[in-house]
Amino acid sequence: MAATESLGGRILAAALCLPGLAEPAHADGAPDQGLIAFKYLDYLDYQPGRERVRIRAPSLHLLLPLSSRWALGATAIHDAISGASPAFHTRAISQLQDERHAADLTLTRFFDDASLGLTAAYSNEADYRSRGLALSGSWSTEDRNRSWSAGLGLSKDVINPVTRLVVDEKKRVLDWTLGLTQVLNPRQVLQLTLGHNRARGYLNDPYKVSHERPRARHATRLLLRFNQHLEDGGQTLRWSLRHYQDSYGVRAQTAGLEFVQPLPWSFSLTPSLRLHNQRRAAFYVEVDPEAAPFATQPPEDWLQFSLDQRLSSFGARTLGLKLAWQPTPDWTADVKLEHYAQRGDWYLGSGSTGLAPFAARSWQVGLSRSF
Amino acid sequence: MPIFHHPFPALGGRAEIVLAAADEAEAKRLAQLGIDEVLRIEHKYSRYRADSLIGRINAQAGGEPVELDDETLALLRFADTLHLDSEGLFDPTSGVLRRAWDFKQPRLPRPDELAPLLALIGWGRVEREGKTLRLPQAGMELDFGGFGKEYAADRAATALKAAGVRHGHVNLAGDIRVLGPKPDGQPWQIGIQHPRQPGKLIASLPLRQGGLATSGDYERYFELDGQRYCHVLNPRTGWPVRFWRSVSVVAPLTVAAGALSSLAMLKEADGLMLLQRSGLPFLAIDPDGALLRDAIH
Repeated sequence: MAATESLGGRILAAALCLPGLAEPAHADGAPDQGLIAFKYLDYLDYQPGRERVRIRAPSLHLLLPLSSRWALGATAIHDAISGASPAFHTRAISQLQDERHAADLTLTRFFDDASLGLTAAYSNEADYRSRGLALSGSWSTEDRNRSWSAGLGLSKDVINPVTRLVVDEKKRVLDWTLGLTQVLNPRQVLQLTLGHNRARGYLNDPYKVSHERPRARHATRLLLRFNQHLEDGGQTLRWSLRHYQDSYGVRAQTAGLEFVQPLPWSFSLTPSLRLHNQRRAAFYVEVDPEAAPFATQPPEDWLQFSLDQRLSSFGARTLGLKLAWQPTPDWTADVKLEHYAQRGDWYLGSGSTGLAPFAARSWQVGLSRSF
Repeated sequence: MPIFHHPFPALGGRAEIVLAAADEAEAKRLAQLGIDEVLRIEHKYSRYRADSLIGRINAQAGGEPVELDDETLALLRFADTLHLDSEGLFDPTSGVLRRAWDFKQPRLPRPDELAPLLALIGWGRVEREGKTLRLPQAGMELDFGGFGKEYAADRAATALKAAGVRHGHVNLAGDIRVLGPKPDGQPWQIGIQHPRQPGKLIASLPLRQGGLATSGDYERYFELDGQRYCHVLNPRTGWPVRFWRSVSVVAPLTVAAGALSSLAMLKEADGLMLLQRSGLPFLAIDPDGALLRDAIH
């Protein structure tokens, strides 16, 4: 007896094999429209009584179909970074200011069921220069219900802190990803991505004291995403679970939920919630209240140590709200607000202590036009 | 951008192409591309035309095999899927039953009329070798009912999309393929025919893209002694199906929506489970006139 379990999917797959009916939207064909998108991000993080880092970053993205087989994408970003950052734990906050220019260029070749892209990226700031190359590919089954993706990236960075603590230090990162996207039925899509990266070289933050990280780090991440389209009112639910672990001993899990609610007059509202739980690096030095106002001394027999809050044990939550407006199919405008809060005692287990609560807020506006 | 309507007769019913264009001349030129594609498919696959491919295949039944092109072979493979998935209830050779059922007169066929026709039905008996097809017995008939019209709607949409049309829809007697939303981004409101009140709608669906197909017991039928006999015929019994007044399905392609609505009609009461398991939005009207729907409001 024929199973009726995924009959809709099977019949649709059979229909897509009819000549001329494979949807361009599902196919790997080159985009038939160009796109220009502008975004402006304003980010500020802070702890009680003290603003820390502020970033204002306008960016411009351009997607240009060159032919039915080729497309060119380009992004340019300018970050203006100002404010202050703690030299250790959440204390000794010292001023910083920098500007970063970054750009990338991607050339993509489309085949009937596959695509291959090459990206070159460049980023430059006063004390840090990065250059990268990445190769990415995707392949879909004939019925477009399953697609595989793979990426391989290499970046080479040169670090020259203004303190001259180190000179011409280098860092290399090799990163690969493997992804699988499976259409379960016309309303549900599941995506699994596995990524791994190996960083070698100078991995320290030269502006922090008592900071000696290992010169190599291997990190693995696994991301599971599930998108569900509710046909009733056109809403979409996006679930995600992420696991991260690295050779520093950091283990982190992130769970995310987004709900896209269409509104009248072509508006849509997307509230989102993200919960994050991170176990500290093996060489993170917990705050010793006795040491205040000085930095806690790492145990004498530790060769590697860090007083960086980012490597502590904490829990965090992010609340977001995005309002998008698409007055015509070619124009999109959106504004997105996010608030992030991080506490040692939100960690599931015994979190890091003695750190000031950390928080950040950001807003971003975007405008894009297809042509 | 203004919206233009282009009605035209096709496939034995009323058809219409609706699209947004800069001006009327441009709209007419674009609509003609879709109309040409519908007429091409009608001429190629109409069972009523002796010069169509289907006409030739049926005329050759019991005789020589007919060589087929890639498009037709792909449609036959699609028919294979429907035949398998319906456990034989969907049969492209069941059209011969129309010889016993004339829906213009309220007359039931005699059993001795049906038996020889049932003997001519059997998709599994059709001989296919390489690119050829042969109906093994004189009198056998092939037709693309249940997916031909829907395929034409999808192909017309493909032709319009290739010409750059982004806002519009193709409507072939109630089987719809939407190319994209209205120019202001709003969905098209697509009406579904009331199965008991001609000219009235039972529901209206907002569609931004994709296909909608409806199959019902109201298109061709007669009533006798209080019982309705409709044109959807069971290839095993030779009798009209009962149960659903109408079944509408929404799918990314009209041909998939049409196939599912036809299968649901053929499966009668079991069609509900089939619709629910399809994962696609549907609206079905049961024998009491109640609306059963999933993901359609």
